Amino acid sequence: MAQSVNDRRRINGPEESYPPVFDDEDEDDLKLKTQRRRAPSDIRPIFLQPGLLSQANGSAYIETEKTKIACAVYGPRQSKTTTYSEKGRLNVEVKFAPFSCMRRRAPMRDAEDRSLGVSIHQAIVSSIRLELFPKSTIDVFITIIENDGIEGCIASGALAASTALADAGIEMLGLVASCSAAVVGDEIQLDPSEAEARASSGTVILACMPASDSITSIWQSGQMSADLSLKVPQCMEQCYERCIDIHSIVAQSLLEHRRTD
Amino acid sequence: MSSSSVTNSSAAEETLRAQIFQRLHPRVYLERFIAENIRPDGRTFDEWRNVSVNVGSISTADGSALVRMGDTTIVCGVKAEIAEPELDRPEQGFLVPNIDLPAICSPKFKPGPPTEEAQVLSDRLNEALVASGALSLSSLCIHPGKAVWTLYVDCTCINYDGNAFDAALLAMLGALRSTTLPKATYNEETGHTTCSRKTRSPVPLTRNFSSASFGVLDTSHVLSDPTAFEEPLMDVTLTVIVDDRGELISTTKSGGAISEEMLLRCIDRAKERVLKLTD
Repeated sequence: MAQSVNDRRRINGPEESYPPVFDDEDEDDLKLKTQRRRAPSDIRPIFLQPGLLSQANGSAYIETEKTKIACAVYGPRQSKTTTYSEKGRLNVEVKFAPFSCMRRRAPMRDAEDRSLGVSIHQAIVSSIRLELFPKSTIDVFITIIENDGIEGCIASGALAASTALADAGIEMLGLVASCSAAVVGDEIQLDPSEAEARASSGTVILACMPASDSITSIWQSGQMSADLSLKVPQCMEQCYERCIDIHSIVAQSLLEHRRTD
Repeated sequence: MSSSSVTNSSAAEETLRAQIFQRLHPRVYLERFIAENIRPDGRTFDEWRNVSVNVGSISTADGSALVRMGDTTIVCGVKAEIAEPELDRPEQGFLVPNIDLPAICSPKFKPGPPTEEAQVLSDRLNEALVASGALSLSSLCIHPGKAVWTLYVDCTCINYDGNAFDAALLAMLGALRSTTLPKATYNEETGHTTCSRKTRSPVPLTRNFSSASFGVLDTSHVLSDPTAFEEPLMDVTLTVIVDDRGELISTTKSGGAISEEMLLRCIDRAKERVLKLTD
């Protein structure tokens, strides 16, 4: 957005520039955009392709309507630090492409990138058998090419990371499936897009391993009021059921990829 | 059954031995292929990898392109913002191209600030776009002295298998060609610019051009479109940019010395290549 610091390592534009401001005559169009076209329990169709990047040990590309994420796994490789660690380290780095959001993002990594990295790390770390890789690091790099809601990014990112790890042949306890939900009024809508999440009062992101019937991480943000506090377990239930379906999609795509190899 | 499993395991052993040899002695490995007039990926010396371009798939960007040159994959997006022009150039907009080679694209790039390779690539792409005059900056003017368009053209490499420059230039031009700018009106009283969501017009590009990169091994073998394995072994790397009318825009060469005749031969090959690409 406003780049007042001259980045000496890149070609710089003007000191300050602003995203275009649109006139308000198109408010009706905006209302149409936030109206959901799917049923509340329908998630957006997932396109998952493992093994797309040849340079990485394992990779996956996931596309759900307007969210496009590429993930690459390098490892296990030697740890940069010299301290001995009995368990392997998992390093998740998330990068937004500058053109991925409605407002251009500066190429430098900021707090949002890191918090997304932490969320995805939390979602997948318990599924990897890190005790088999002492002194090693597994690097998971995620590049978000197009972003349609942070919840969708975290969920799809965790899916892509899990698929890429499986593609790399790293031993895991199970595949991680992840789903998000938003509470709009009294209704629970699964897999919200950016506009839907902004219109909601609170969101829940659930990551789990359906194969071993366990949950790896839950993120809840926003307001879910006291008398409707049952909303959180309800969201979790619905997300979990959806995750079982998502898990079969991931397994299917991995099997197909191996078969064509 | 046992004999087929024996041949299978010996074939697997052979491949493993070849891979180990490739890792330990890359130059000798490549020279053995060159001696048979072929390259490790099966191409002849002047064969180019298949190129596929996918335009306009990213809705958050004003223009976008995804280019696959063999395995090298580059995504480019154009974002348009509004800025005040420079005082000495009140009617010129800004064109800011950048390429990022993140850690995701290759094991040789570590996470962190742009490496020297990325910085050099960004600079060369900037020079190519400016020197060619493909986009006239005065066409980006909204109101002289007050508001101009700034086009941020950002490339991200997702998979690096050599020859990022050609792919990135192709991606940038593809993205620019698919870019549409909303109609902007500058309000002199308030000093604000408002845009219309309904009318969008394309960015006027005057010239269409592409680049062709070569690598020279042992001063006599010219390989076009080197892969990530061949690139570091080349003695000389040469890039020629030609437009669709066959006019030469720029030539860049780095590395050792080559003969003039070889340089001219490369320029001719580049012209053929560009003509074929624009078809």
